Amino acid sequence: MDDRAALHIFVLTLQCNQGCTYCQASSRDKHAESCTMSKEVLKRSVEFMFQSPAHVLTMEFQGGEPSLHPELVRYGIEVAENLRKQQSRDIRYVLCTNCVDVNDDLLSLCKEFNVLISTSLDGPEWLHNRNRGKADSYQKVVAGIKKAREVLGNNAVSALQTTSVMALDHPIGIVDEYVRMGFHDMFLRALNPYGLAANNDDWSQYTDRFVEFYKKAFEHILELNRQGISFVEDFATIILRKILTPFDSGFVDLQSPAGIVNSVLVYNYDGNVYTSDEGRMLAEHGDYTFCLGNVFDQYEDIVYGPKVQQLAQVWSAETLAGCFDCAWRPYCGADPVRNHSTQGDVYGFRPSSLLCRKNKTIITYLVSLIIERYDEVMPIFKNWLQ
Amino acid sequence: MRDFFDIKSNDNALFVTEQCNNHCLMCCQPPRNVDDIDKLYQKNQHLIRSAPKELKVLGITGGEPTLLGEKLFDLIAEIRQFLPDTELHLLSNGRSFANEAFAQRLAEVSEGMIVVGVPLHSDYERDHDKISGCKGAFAETMYGLYNLADAGVPIELRIVVNKLNFIRLPHIAQFIFKNLPFVSWTAFMGMEQTGLAHKNHNAIWVEPVDYVDLLAQAVFYLGSWGLDACIYNIPLCLLPETVWLHAEKSISDWKTQYSAQCDKCLKRQQCCGLFGTSSEEYVGLNPFMS
Repeated sequence: MDDRAALHIFVLTLQCNQGCTYCQASSRDKHAESCTMSKEVLKRSVEFMFQSPAHVLTMEFQGGEPSLHPELVRYGIEVAENLRKQQSRDIRYVLCTNCVDVNDDLLSLCKEFNVLISTSLDGPEWLHNRNRGKADSYQKVVAGIKKAREVLGNNAVSALQTTSVMALDHPIGIVDEYVRMGFHDMFLRALNPYGLAANNDDWSQYTDRFVEFYKKAFEHILELNRQGISFVEDFATIILRKILTPFDSGFVDLQSPAGIVNSVLVYNYDGNVYTSDEGRMLAEHGDYTFCLGNVFDQYEDIVYGPKVQQLAQVWSAETLAGCFDCAWRPYCGADPVRNHSTQGDVYGFRPSSLLCRKNKTIITYLVSLIIERYDEVMPIFKNWLQ
Repeated sequence: MRDFFDIKSNDNALFVTEQCNNHCLMCCQPPRNVDDIDKLYQKNQHLIRSAPKELKVLGITGGEPTLLGEKLFDLIAEIRQFLPDTELHLLSNGRSFANEAFAQRLAEVSEGMIVVGVPLHSDYERDHDKISGCKGAFAETMYGLYNLADAGVPIELRIVVNKLNFIRLPHIAQFIFKNLPFVSWTAFMGMEQTGLAHKNHNAIWVEPVDYVDLLAQAVFYLGSWGLDACIYNIPLCLLPETVWLHAEKSISDWKTQYSAQCDKCLKRQQCCGLFGTSSEEYVGLNPFMS
């Protein structure tokens, strides 16, 4: 019954070799000091992760840019492999990298331990480079993806798209770029109001424009599928799996009880443990609400401690005003961290919540497609869900 | 039921009791409340010891085999000992497995060499209970299916199509995907017109020609979600060609008969044929002549 967190995020460093306009991860210059994890903290963090009773652990390396410290990636995996063998556990590794600096050594490490690569591609060259604040970012990322695929196989490399304000007018071009790059799926992802992205001017307008962007991109993806190109939109697939099947994708952002603590824990470079990626991003701006303690504390004191007890009051959509009686509650989730960061309290106020508006509109759109265009969309959706 | 095993037969089974806690309207082997467990157990022990080691599949049937309680596990342990390479096919209404420990015991003792065939008569509780002749049967069978799945035991779900459930075949398929997606396969079965099925003819008999379109819908639906479905006991000439690949030669060879019309049929070799035990032939048999 007590399965607990499966996804464990290790923020190895805040150093980064890019300067993205929408950076949500509080990255710093690649020579910045005192923002990289020590081996001692890393070892203790891995041991902490192994106290989680989840059937399959996922160890995700993040930053900043973790590939700037391949020695830490290797050390973390070595410590984990030792414990995995001792305890006969299952574990999978994910390296979140911008692919700019992937080299042979790093890739052979990935090959040795079946590390999956999760990278980031914003769309066509001009858009990607403008988002990244570099003139050659696109070429480097594309070369990195190609290299990683050659060594690890096509399926070991996935990419995340992020919709900057500039991207909002280019849904078709962005989808086509993913198809052209040989990806079989993409996640149409809105900006989250954390880090640099939080400085965006008008979030209400952004949300409405994002939903329009999403629908246009989605219609284009449906059209591609009708033409026989099997191409999946991942956010819709997560929701459709909840609507149409008895299964769940385990996507931490749409869960009730919320994904924080229950499905994910974050180990920051300094050894502090956070509820989620967003929780530690707030801390970089001086808000420690979601800091649960330190990896040198007892596991039980963190996962069942006073902060988690408080959060547990507000992490179930079934008990939240504006959620419990919502028709889309079974397909949505609770997000106390987002409520806190955008509305100033963990409970949240649904009528003015932009996350609520976005999720409600997209879920309504998907349900409408099933009702109004059943024969057309169902073969495509079933194909995505297999 | 024969008293010896035939290595070439598609149906070798141990008959373990005539007792049953269901009383299904179409039962081809009507239950009897007789004290036969020990006597049959001894007979089956002898059969197991004299069986050819190469026997691929051995059935365990009744009545309801789980009414043997702990004795069923003793029997299975003997089979594992004397026939280590033989797979078991246990036919059960699944109700006894509502007891979680009972399901776990089955998983342990059968050592991964078993499939349990469990009939589900409807997605609607009252229809299932009515067809199985027992109030509460649906709930216990559902608990049993979950406990078997939890214990890691492969399940064959069996839908015997009859007059009381054929109209809901597409709904039953949806119910299976939404609630029982873990079953290894679902078998839609034509009725054998013998035993209670003969006696209750008016209440439950339905001709395949009246339900094959709904049956095809159900099979396609399960297939569209990647679930395996097969069709037992319905000859090819009564099925739309689009579902032929799901049709199996399912009728026990010692029961199989062909109608006089079938002599000239070109598909006879691929077809399951008819139940020799049925009192009447299906309506609409139509041999393939070219």
